[in-house]
Amino acid sequence: MADAVIGQATDARNARPRRFGLRSAMRRKSMTAFLMTSPLILLIALLVVYPALYSVNLATLNRSMEHFVGFGNFLFLFNRETFWMVVKQSCIFALTAVLFKAIFGFVVAHFVHNIPAKGQRKWRGMLLVPWVIPPAMSCLAWLWLFDPSYSAFNWIFDKVGIGPIPWTGDAMWARFSVILVNVWIGAPFFMIMYLAALKSVPEQLFEAAAVDGANFWQRTWYVTLPMMRNIIAITALFSLIVTFANFDIVRILTAGGPIDLTHVFATWAFRVGIEVGDIPLGASVSLFMVPILTLAAIFILRDINRRGNEA
Amino acid sequence: MRGKLTRRRFLATTAASTALIAMPYVRGSHAAGRLSIVLWDHWVPGANNTSKMLVEEWAAGEKVEVQIDYVNNQGNKLLLTTGAEAQAQSGHDVIALPTWLPSDHANQLEPVDDIMQPLIKQNGAVNATVEYLGKSQGHWIAVPATIGSQIKGPCSRIDLMKQHAGIDVQAMYPAGAPPKAENWTLDTFLKAAEACQKGGFPFGIGLGTTADSVDTAGAIFHSFGAMLVDAKGTITVKSDPVRQALEYYTKLAKFFPPDAPAWDDSSNNKWLISGRGALIMNPPSAWAVAKRDAPQVAEQCWTHGMAAGPKGRFAPFIPYFWGIWSFGKNKEAAKSLLVHLSQPVAIERLVAASGGYDLPSFANLTTLKTWAEEGPPKGTLYHYPNPYSHQVLSIAGAPAPPKIAVQIYIQGVMTKMTVRHLQGEPMEKTLAWAENEVEGFLRT
Amino acid sequence: MTAIATTAGGSARAARRRSMSRDRRWALRWSYFFLTLFAIFFLLPPAYMLITSLKTSAEVSAATNPWWVYNPTLANYAELLSSSQFLTYFRNSAVVSTVVVAVTMLISVPAAFALSRMKFWGSTTLATGVFLTYLIPETLLFIPLFKMFAVFGDATGIQLINRWWVLLLVYPTLTVPFCTWVMIGYFASIPRELDEAALIDGANYRQVLTRVFIPVALPGLIAATIFAFTVSWAQFLYPLAFTTSTDQLVLPVGIITSLIKGDVFNWGQIMTGALLGAAPPLLIYAFLMDYYIAGLTAGATKG
Repeated sequence: MADAVIGQATDARNARPRRFGLRSAMRRKSMTAFLMTSPLILLIALLVVYPALYSVNLATLNRSMEHFVGFGNFLFLFNRETFWMVVKQSCIFALTAVLFKAIFGFVVAHFVHNIPAKGQRKWRGMLLVPWVIPPAMSCLAWLWLFDPSYSAFNWIFDKVGIGPIPWTGDAMWARFSVILVNVWIGAPFFMIMYLAALKSVPEQLFEAAAVDGANFWQRTWYVTLPMMRNIIAITALFSLIVTFANFDIVRILTAGGPIDLTHVFATWAFRVGIEVGDIPLGASVSLFMVPILTLAAIFILRDINRRGNEA
Repeated sequence: MRGKLTRRRFLATTAASTALIAMPYVRGSHAAGRLSIVLWDHWVPGANNTSKMLVEEWAAGEKVEVQIDYVNNQGNKLLLTTGAEAQAQSGHDVIALPTWLPSDHANQLEPVDDIMQPLIKQNGAVNATVEYLGKSQGHWIAVPATIGSQIKGPCSRIDLMKQHAGIDVQAMYPAGAPPKAENWTLDTFLKAAEACQKGGFPFGIGLGTTADSVDTAGAIFHSFGAMLVDAKGTITVKSDPVRQALEYYTKLAKFFPPDAPAWDDSSNNKWLISGRGALIMNPPSAWAVAKRDAPQVAEQCWTHGMAAGPKGRFAPFIPYFWGIWSFGKNKEAAKSLLVHLSQPVAIERLVAASGGYDLPSFANLTTLKTWAEEGPPKGTLYHYPNPYSHQVLSIAGAPAPPKIAVQIYIQGVMTKMTVRHLQGEPMEKTLAWAENEVEGFLRT
Repeated sequence: MTAIATTAGGSARAARRRSMSRDRRWALRWSYFFLTLFAIFFLLPPAYMLITSLKTSAEVSAATNPWWVYNPTLANYAELLSSSQFLTYFRNSAVVSTVVVAVTMLISVPAAFALSRMKFWGSTTLATGVFLTYLIPETLLFIPLFKMFAVFGDATGIQLINRWWVLLLVYPTLTVPFCTWVMIGYFASIPRELDEAALIDGANYRQVLTRVFIPVALPGLIAATIFAFTVSWAQFLYPLAFTTSTDQLVLPVGIITSLIKGDVFNWGQIMTGALLGAAPPLLIYAFLMDYYIAGLTAGATKG
């Protein structure tokens, strides 16, 4: 990331001869650097890496956790139809949700950017509320809004003559509802990031493009998007990871139903691992996420690094 | 690692020797020290106070320092707590265990044959479901708890059933007298469901994967003698009883609300309380809330027995248990406490405090005053505890080995089968899917 | 000739300016229109929470107009705010979140400083690796963590399970990575001349950090603080798994487990509890909004 660039710059500077203090300065620096990062390293090693390795170990045991079965659990999963359904659903869910969050965020950011600066603060504030409310609380509100007997939305539809919608009862609607709530919670985050990025694009670029006769769409395509490419990539990656691993929304709204058609990795791992009591299998399901996400992460971060070096 | 093996072997030998000796538990004078327990957090306001009082009375008598934690299963809290404590071999001494947890953690629970045998002698026999869930390899590993145990039988609207289905549930199950329910068969049930749905008040039975939905499906399947896995662990999905059960239930499900596949455990409560349904399969919690929020609905509610199928009359029974962790530090006190809580006097107080919701699992205790007197309408709970034993209390998934049955239950295979077939999948394809699922459950 | 041309040009320019401002006005109107639509979409659920919280449970069950309160009552609020249980939850949440924020800052700020300014062996890997800890989900980690804490409790006698202070250990795993990343972004944007100057003046690295960086990057620090607070306050799975006794619970878990029992949902109270549970982050957000937003974007534009 930024470090690569900074690292190179520091090297260049350190190459300048300051012989006397250099070695002791380097030693002092390493020592201080080590001290400063050691709590971080300790925290991650002890409370993230070690338990993660333990989970990997768990995933290699049989159901009663008495024998080592290596990849047996994964092979077992690959044979189950439900597992592949969950994989497909998680991918579709994550990609669709992130796509819509990005689009919404982009569009709203443009509108907010358009209005005079004085009003922006107020609007920004209102539009960021969904992201600030704890998801566990807002999911309860959505659950209540989607309730089969008492849905406030269905009440309105009833008044205008449209039939009630089975928000969580029908598979397609359930998937829609889960994505809707996820977009509701996440789009404000995208909006804020894109808004800041929009503000950092120099106004002259837009004016130059306008003078050259570009209309709004051309300006967006040739000026806005390229300038914001980094932000789009970083935000998308972060959101992809968080959405892919999402547990609360699906759990509270649909618990994976109906007939498992809204299950994602985290909720299915919970059902298989904790609710049924097959902890090694649950661990295997959860771990299957990691390679997918790592690939995505490496891919996108490499793209950012390359761009960072180019810039 | 070695330590764990040695401890387990030790426990195994202790359990074996206890069984060999099979002496009844004699309350020692040394039940002292500290005890930390988990009790199910009751939804009835004030019910927790009664259990607290009972425990504290016992603690004062035995000079034990007790710490009670009330935990319910919201967010699977109880499940998480027991799972984590079992894994870590550390936690409370006595713990409330919903339905399947005793068999899940059989290895970590202290055998309680020495408590159960005298209790059965004193309070009467326990039903087969309690034995199925509370015993492991022939030994009792948990004591059936009154708090939280329930029957999820029909709770009907007297007026709507009379008006639309032509059935007088009060005459069928009169308060204070044996049931007159020879005509209450699954065929009548089906006709009534159709009539009520056409009348605009469908039966509120869910097809989701939460307990309420799965329990009803389980009772229907048992009524046809259908089981997905038999007691030996052989898969019997593609058998005629299963086909009959699936066919019937799919026919019945046509008359359920359209979003039944997404129903959770509170959906049927809301269905009844909002006045939209003629019947739900639920313990009296829905009626109790209706008493407070919709009295005009509540005074038309009547809890009664289930309809009979070709192979018998089955109703879903959901027991809770109290278990003692084998790594607990004060098992003497724990056993003494469980005996105390299972005395008829204590049970009567618990039932009264819960408004009749809690059910003791012993045969002699199904006719307590509370059920006769709760109302309005008076007698609405009289037949709730199955006082004339005219229905068999069962649980979905039985008689499969518990480790397989729990997966059938939690994954809601029976309701999922019904939904798939209802939505147009040919029966053979549904059965093939179910067989594939159940095969996966056989893994060890 | 020129005069006429100029005048013609002038009026043409003026005409263009007039049409531009008309376009601008239309663009503004459309912007406000869509913004209002989006605002309605985003604010609908909290508004509904508020409406429901003012209803008695009888009114909720009666299925009357859900968008209007016929018999408004503050009983739900009164009950919750006077219940000692609820206040305990609130206090636990407040203490845990505040301490976690402090701990997070103490860990991430020095680490971010070291990673952004001092190149040492493995710093690039560490910076990327920090980010990758988000790949490992909570639902996977809580069981081994529980076991670790139980073992620790047995070995040292310090009880960790079922105590609210265990959350002080686990929450930072969720807040530190992102805060570190954000601070790295902020620190990287501070001109090197500043710290070079300080170093030449004989300051050691610690002084550079405290005297130069922290004051300059204060908005970023505040933003990271707010992020850490919001994340800590909203946590659900970890407290659900690690705390059991009523007096140890934090607010989100406390609300859900004490207001929803068995199959009985008390929606009026639940919505009240949810609103009260969402209030602290909302309030902090309302007052410190600019820093919040600035911090979120800092990591992006400068990282």
